[in-house]
Amino acid sequence: MPQWVDNIEQALRYYPLQIGTSGLIGMCLGLLGCFVVLRRMALIGDALSHAILPGVVIAFLTINLVIGHLSETAGLWGLFLGALIAGLITAVGIGWVSRHSRAKEDSAIGIVFTAMFGLGVILISQLPEGTHFDLTCFLFGEPLAIKSDDMLSIALVTPIVVSFVLIGFRALRLLSFDPQMAAAIGMKTNFWHYAFMGILAAAVVAALRTVGVIMSVAMLITPAAAAYQLTNRLGTMLLLSGLFGATSATFGFLAAFALNIPTGPAMVLFATMIFVTVLAVAPEYGLISRFRRRRAILLHILEEDILKTMLRHGRPIKQEELVAIRFSAEKPTNIVRSVRRLLRGGFLVDSSNGLKLTTEGQRRGQLLLRSHRLWERYLADEMVPDSLIHDTAERLEHAHHLAETLDQKLGSPTTDPHGEPIPEKPENASKY
Amino acid sequence: MSNFSATLNNSAAIAFKGVSVSYSQKPVLRDISLGLPQGVLATLVGPNGAGKSTFLKALLGLVPLDRGVVEVFGNSIDRHRYRVAYVPQTESVDWDFPITAREIVMMGRYPYQGLVRSISRQDHDTVSEALEQVGMTAYANRHIRQLSGGQQQRIFLARALAQQADLLLLDEPFSGVDVKTEATLLQLMRRLTTAGKTLLVVNHDLSILKQFDYIILLNLMLVGAGPVPSTATETNIRRTYGGPLEYLEQAELELGRSPKELRRDQPR
Repeated sequence: MPQWVDNIEQALRYYPLQIGTSGLIGMCLGLLGCFVVLRRMALIGDALSHAILPGVVIAFLTINLVIGHLSETAGLWGLFLGALIAGLITAVGIGWVSRHSRAKEDSAIGIVFTAMFGLGVILISQLPEGTHFDLTCFLFGEPLAIKSDDMLSIALVTPIVVSFVLIGFRALRLLSFDPQMAAAIGMKTNFWHYAFMGILAAAVVAALRTVGVIMSVAMLITPAAAAYQLTNRLGTMLLLSGLFGATSATFGFLAAFALNIPTGPAMVLFATMIFVTVLAVAPEYGLISRFRRRRAILLHILEEDILKTMLRHGRPIKQEELVAIRFSAEKPTNIVRSVRRLLRGGFLVDSSNGLKLTTEGQRRGQLLLRSHRLWERYLADEMVPDSLIHDTAERLEHAHHLAETLDQKLGSPTTDPHGEPIPEKPENASKY
Repeated sequence: MSNFSATLNNSAAIAFKGVSVSYSQKPVLRDISLGLPQGVLATLVGPNGAGKSTFLKALLGLVPLDRGVVEVFGNSIDRHRYRVAYVPQTESVDWDFPITAREIVMMGRYPYQGLVRSISRQDHDTVSEALEQVGMTAYANRHIRQLSGGQQQRIFLARALAQQADLLLLDEPFSGVDVKTEATLLQLMRRLTTAGKTLLVVNHDLSILKQFDYIILLNLMLVGAGPVPSTATETNIRRTYGGPLEYLEQAELELGRSPKELRRDQPR
């Protein structure tokens, strides 16, 4: 049995709770991240996660000094409270600085969160003897050190986040999409903004040991950005983002064990992998499908142009000749491809004299000629200058479904502006 | 125009009484007093920086007033916010937002739904009706990116209708749409006023002023407000768009500087 399988088996045996809670907090960050991405608050999310440091340190200090080692739950609440206060101070501070200085919001964010973070680091350096605050753990997380209080905090935060998103769905969507309307109809926009910030801060604190503050930003943005690429519906985006977040966290954890690498970064890279994959293969907005769609349109246009040229030419033509008279600027491979597709589609036949239009091909060419001349007629009627008419029509003719609307609108004209007849609509025209 | 005075006697749709607003000491609106009767198609014109957006914000109670009172249907706006609908500027909308046309119109039902209540039969019916009224039923399930500029405007009008608002504030609905779309939108707006709605349209196109019943000319101060035939005069338009107000702005800038700076920069 290879070593990595053994490692994963060990992880599943000894850390099932850690894996589960990582998945939960990954889901929470994924859910909240949707609104962070849609409201373009990625920078604020980043700032918030760093800026909770002084809050956490002060809470840590207070608990250590005043309460002593009373109980784990008291420590937990203290930590949350400290983070919440620090988070809200940051959110309010950013708003205040950008309103009262010439600096815009991005600078205000930079000023406030570095100040908070600096304060936190100084506080750590001044901690009394005998106390130990693990800054590295705060920054990068240490999932293996996840203790029962971390799991408890995640168990507390998860239902809060989920119900906040469920109950606040309409309000958050309105606030994100149209804050002006939200204010106009009297929605408490400030309340929702700060409630969101507060819950975000709580989720980041809960995610502290799992991913760490630096990496939690990635878990906030990357799954949401991947989901955004896949859908036009907010509900679906939330579902996918939560799913991506949970998967990244659990599989990142397992991958970290299998390959013996740090867990937080493994989770983040797993999320990045999902994002890159989605970016490439998403059905509508993916790079590959966009490329293929553009290419398909170009080839379609080329095919139609070939048919039209042959219809005008009137007799069989050799492929090389075709290139010479009309398509010398086109890539030869594209011509070959288009001709092959036209042959296969039954629009052309290869005779001894060269390529010949079939009846079907003639029909389709005629449809295009009709569309071209209808567009010319329309453009001429709309006072588009003569010099532009032909070239514009050459492009627009490929929108032949719209050309039929033009035909109706123009009252089925019979000639184009140059006096050429506009052909009748051929049978079965709708299939092209 | 006798019907204007008649409607004015009832409660006006909008009343500004000596309203002044300023942002960090720089006055944006000065001592505005006007009334807008109900059921008219009104336009708000003025150059960039004339305070048109602030006017709308003051109307919606979203900026603190230095002085004066704003009334909507004879009351403070807070009494019936749902009766006023705001149609945002096209440029301020995120057209990539994951939302369909119908979902936007459904947002108009928000004031009635609040947080918890689920979408009712009546919400659905109102939304469908609003879509029908603006002729967008066939496009309801499209993503907003897949709509033309005119269709996008109509969707936002439908949202205002679904809100069952009586006063519609439209922030530059004609920017970036062609002449024909503009005409279609105007027709639609006219139909809405016939149905008893009051529309206030922020507008830059002076060539279509005749299409409106009522006009508000604004350039920090109120240049004029009244029925179009008597108020949209050449003199008023010239006063709104050019001329002496330039000095006002300059004076404002000077007032923001210390006497020492002023003395230093004075021409000798």
